[in-house]
Amino acid sequence: MRQAFINRLRAWAARRHGRDSLPLTISRRRIYILPTRVGLMLAFTLTAMLIAGLNYNSNLGLAFAFLMAGVGLVTMHHCNRNLLGLQVDVTAEVDAFAGREASFEFVLRNDSNVDRRDIEIRCLDSGATRCVAAKSSEPVVVAIPVPRRGVTRVAQFELRTLYPFGWFHAWTYVQGSLTAHVAPAPRGNRTVPAAEGSGHASRSEMRGDEDFAGLRTYQPGMPLKHMAWKVLARGGDAAVRSYTSLAAQPEWLEWSSLEDQDMETRLSQLCLWVLESDAAQRVYGLRIPGREIPPSRGTAHRFACLRALAVHGLAEPP
Amino acid sequence: MKSQPVSFEQLLAISLCLALALLPHLGSLPAWVLVAASVSGGLRLALAWRGGAAPPRSAKLLIAGLAIGLLFLQFHTFNGLSAGTALLALTAGLKLLETDTRRDVYVIVLIIYFMSMSTLLEGDSFWLLTYLIGVGWLTTATLLRITTALPAPDWHSSMRYAGRILGQAVPIALVFWLLFPRFSGPLWHMPDDGQSAESGLSDSMSPGDITELALSDEVAFRVRFAAAAPPPNERYWRGPVMHDFDGHTWTRGRPLAFGAPTLQPRGDAYRYTLSLEPNQHNWIFALDWPTHWDLPHGSLTGDYTLVRPDPVSRPIDVTATSFTHIQYPEPLSNFWRRRDARLAPNRNPRTVQLARSLRSTHPDDMEYVRAILDMFSRQAFYYTLTPPKLSDDSMDEFLFQTRRGFCGHYASAFAVLMRAAGIPARVVTGYQGGTFNRFANYWIVRQSDAHAWDEIWIDGHGWMRIDPTSVIAPSRVERGLNDTASADNLPESRWQYHASWLADTRLRLDALRLLWRERILLFNDDSQSKLLEWLHIPEPDGQKLVIVLAAALSLVLVWLTWQVRREIDPTRKELLIRCYSKLCARLAAVGLPRLAHEGPEDYAARVAQSRPDLGRAVGALCRQYSSLRYAAAPTPLTVGQFDAAVRAFHPRRGADLDGHARGR
Repeated sequence: MRQAFINRLRAWAARRHGRDSLPLTISRRRIYILPTRVGLMLAFTLTAMLIAGLNYNSNLGLAFAFLMAGVGLVTMHHCNRNLLGLQVDVTAEVDAFAGREASFEFVLRNDSNVDRRDIEIRCLDSGATRCVAAKSSEPVVVAIPVPRRGVTRVAQFELRTLYPFGWFHAWTYVQGSLTAHVAPAPRGNRTVPAAEGSGHASRSEMRGDEDFAGLRTYQPGMPLKHMAWKVLARGGDAAVRSYTSLAAQPEWLEWSSLEDQDMETRLSQLCLWVLESDAAQRVYGLRIPGREIPPSRGTAHRFACLRALAVHGLAEPP
Repeated sequence: MKSQPVSFEQLLAISLCLALALLPHLGSLPAWVLVAASVSGGLRLALAWRGGAAPPRSAKLLIAGLAIGLLFLQFHTFNGLSAGTALLALTAGLKLLETDTRRDVYVIVLIIYFMSMSTLLEGDSFWLLTYLIGVGWLTTATLLRITTALPAPDWHSSMRYAGRILGQAVPIALVFWLLFPRFSGPLWHMPDDGQSAESGLSDSMSPGDITELALSDEVAFRVRFAAAAPPPNERYWRGPVMHDFDGHTWTRGRPLAFGAPTLQPRGDAYRYTLSLEPNQHNWIFALDWPTHWDLPHGSLTGDYTLVRPDPVSRPIDVTATSFTHIQYPEPLSNFWRRRDARLAPNRNPRTVQLARSLRSTHPDDMEYVRAILDMFSRQAFYYTLTPPKLSDDSMDEFLFQTRRGFCGHYASAFAVLMRAAGIPARVVTGYQGGTFNRFANYWIVRQSDAHAWDEIWIDGHGWMRIDPTSVIAPSRVERGLNDTASADNLPESRWQYHASWLADTRLRLDALRLLWRERILLFNDDSQSKLLEWLHIPEPDGQKLVIVLAAALSLVLVWLTWQVRREIDPTRKELLIRCYSKLCARLAAVGLPRLAHEGPEDYAARVAQSRPDLGRAVGALCRQYSSLRYAAAPTPLTVGQFDAAVRAFHPRRGADLDGHARGR
C-alpha cells in the first residue's frame, strides 16, 4: 500500500518535472516534505501539551508548548532548506559486472554558506549519505546490485534528508538517466590466446625488443629520450625516432576460440581476458559475432570492449 | 537509521538532560520515584560504560510493572498533575534503562519536553520558564548530535544551531501565545490531588501552641487602589472568622449556609484590585467591609467573609469595592447572639471570674470594653513573637501568668473576656497593613502581615471592630510589623528594614513580579479582546481573534521562509565583506566613497588626509578588516566584534564638505 503510493508519487513527479538535464540545481518546487513517524509522535506530544496548557489555563505552560511547536515548524523549514539550492551531477560510471554492484558517481555541490548535512542519494534500494560542507562539493558513490548482464537503466534517483532531528523527511526526485552497462561476470579457466606472429613471446622480448621504424616530427610532449638530436644538430626540424615494439603485436580475443562452450560462459571468459590484458597493459582486440573492436589499449578501449560484451545478444536499447 | 545503537556518551548526555528536567520536581515528587529514575539511569549508564546492551526484556517488564504498581498504590490515580508528573518521571527513568537505539532517545526527548511543560503548569516564575527553556535547548542540541550521521557536529555548533532554531521559533511562539484563543474555564476538571501545600491562614487558631511566630516574607496578595488608600488603622483585610472556642483553640465551626445581612455603607468607598497568590483556601481577603466584587460565584458568608466555591489554587485578580465604615440596620439574630457568646463550660475559670467582677463595676458595654483595654495597657502585658507555650486553660495562663503574646493571644483573650460578660464577640483573622511599593503604586501584603482582631456586638451600633493588639503595640497597627519586631530582637527583619537600598531593590523586584503576573500569568481572553481593540478591530470576538491569528501567522511564516532561505543564498557575501561594505557605504554617505582600485589601507590613508577627525577611527577599522581578511595567523579579533565596531561607527558630515557641496 505504502509502496504503491510511493510508486504513484514517483510516476507523478516524473510526469510533472519531465526529463532533467544534469547538473541540476534543486528548486523549491520539486522538494517534497512530510513528517516522519517520530515527527508525528512529536506532533502528538505537542497537541497533548497544548491541551494540558489550555485546561490548566497556564500561560507559562502554553508559552513552552508554543515555543516547541515553533521549533517544529522552523525545523520543517530547515529540513526543506537542507536540499534547496543544492546542485547534483552524475560524473562517471565505473565498470560493472553481473552479480556484483554498479557504482554511480554523483557530485553534490553546495554554493551556499551553510553546511548541508546528512544528504542521502538513493538509487533503487541503495543509498549513500554525505555531509556537503559550505562552498564545497562532495563526491558520492552509490552502488546498486546488478544481478545480470546487459544495460541497467535508472530513470529516477532520489535526494533525501532527515536533518535536523529526523522529525521531517524532505526529498526530491531527479529524472536523470543513469545507464550502467553490466558486463558478464569475469570467469573462466583458459589463458589469454597468444598474440599473432610471435607465438609465445617471452615477457622480456615483448617489452624490450624494439625495431627502428623511422622519424616523426616532434610534437610537444613526446619523450625526449627518443629525440633525434643528430638531425636537430644538422639543422633539420626537431624529430623523434619512432619504434615498433614486438610486444605491441596485438592479441586477438576471439569468440571463435571458445567454440565448445555456451554463450554466457564464452562471454564471461572473454570478459576475464579483457581485464587481464588490460591489467598487463597489452594491446588487444576483441572479435565477437557482429562486432569487431580493433586492437588498442587504455581505459576507453576497455570500456568499449566491456560494453560490447555487455550488450551482446540482447535487444539493442533504443 | 532508527535502529542505530546509542553510545555511552550519547546516553550520558540524554540522562543529564532528563536529570535537569527533573530537578524542579525535587521537592514535590515522592522520593522513591526520583531514586528509581536515577537508579535505572545509573544502571544503564554502568552497563553502557562496560559496553553492554540494555538488560533483557523480561527484567525490564518486571521492573516497570512493579514501579507503576507502586505508583498507583501511592496516588490511587494517574489523573491529575502530581500523579501524572510522577508517572512521567518514572517512565522516563525506566525508559533510560531500556534505551538501546535512537528510537528510544526520541521517546525520552519527548518525555523531557512534556515534563518541562507540566512543570510550568504548577510553577509561575520567570526563572523557572527561563531554566526550562534552557533545558529544552540543551535537549534539542543533544538530539541533534545523536541524530546527525557522521561527522557528528561538535557541542559548540550543536548548541548554536539548536539555539538558532529556538530563536527563529520565538516569533511563532509569540504570535500563538498572544492570539491563540483562551477559554475562561478549564476544558474538563482535573482532580486537585491536594499535594500543593496550603499557605497563610487556616481554619483554626490556637495561639497557645505557637512558641515562635514564623515571619514569612511570602506575598499573600497585592492590592492596587483605584484612588487613595484608606489610612493604616483602617486597612484590615478580612479572612476567616472564628466562632467556636474550646478553651485552647478557636475554630470556624460549620460552614454557614445563609448569606450576610445587607450593610448600609457610610463614608468613602474604596475601589481596588486584589491580586491573590494561591493559598488553597476559598476565602478572598477583601478590605473590611466588602460591598461589591467582581468574582465569579463569589459570595459573602454570614460573618462577612468574601468566599468562592473553589480554593484559590492559581493566582487570581479580584476587583472589589469596600467601605471602612458601615451600619447594621438589622438587630442581631438569636442564633448569632447565642453562638458568639458561648464559652466552653469549666474552661479558663479565672478569666471568667475576672470578667464577672469587672462587669459588675462596668454595666455599660462600651465602658466595660474600655476597662479591659485599659487593663491590657496599664498592666505588664508585652507583645512578642516568641511567647511561652500555654496549657489547655490557655487564657487563664496567659492573663495571669505569662502575659506575653502576639495578636492571636490578645484577640483571643479579649473575645473570651467579652463572652464571659455576655457580649457577643468573635475573632477575625486576616491581614493588617501592608507595604507600599512607591515604584509601582501598589501595596504588598505578606504572610508576616497576618493579624487577628475582634468584633463585638454593641446593641444600637452593630458589629464593632476592636483590635486589642493596637493597645499593646500601637506601632504594629500604625506602621506594620517590622517596627514592632525590631523592639523584639529579630535581627534579620531589622537589617532588612534599615538597609533602605536593599528595601528599595526588593520593592523594585516585587514591582517586576507584579508586572510579570499581570501581563503574563493572568493573560486571558479579556486581555486578548483589549489587544484586538488596540489593533483597531471593532467588536472583538473569538472569530476575529482566529482571523488575526491566521494573518499574523502567515506574516511570521513569510518572515521565517525569507530568514531561512537567505542563509543559503549563494550570492550572499560572507559577514566580513558585508561589514566592510557597510563601512564603505557609511563613508560614502559623508562624501568619501571608496574608489574601485583602493585597498583598505590606501582608502584609510585617503580618508585620514581629507578628514583628519575620522582618520584614527577609519584607520583602525580598515586595519582590523585587512588583518581579519588577509592575515595568515589567526587574529584575536572576531568578525562579530568587527561587525559591532562598524555598527557603532557613525561618521558625521564635515562642515567644510557641506560648504563645498553647497558651493557646487
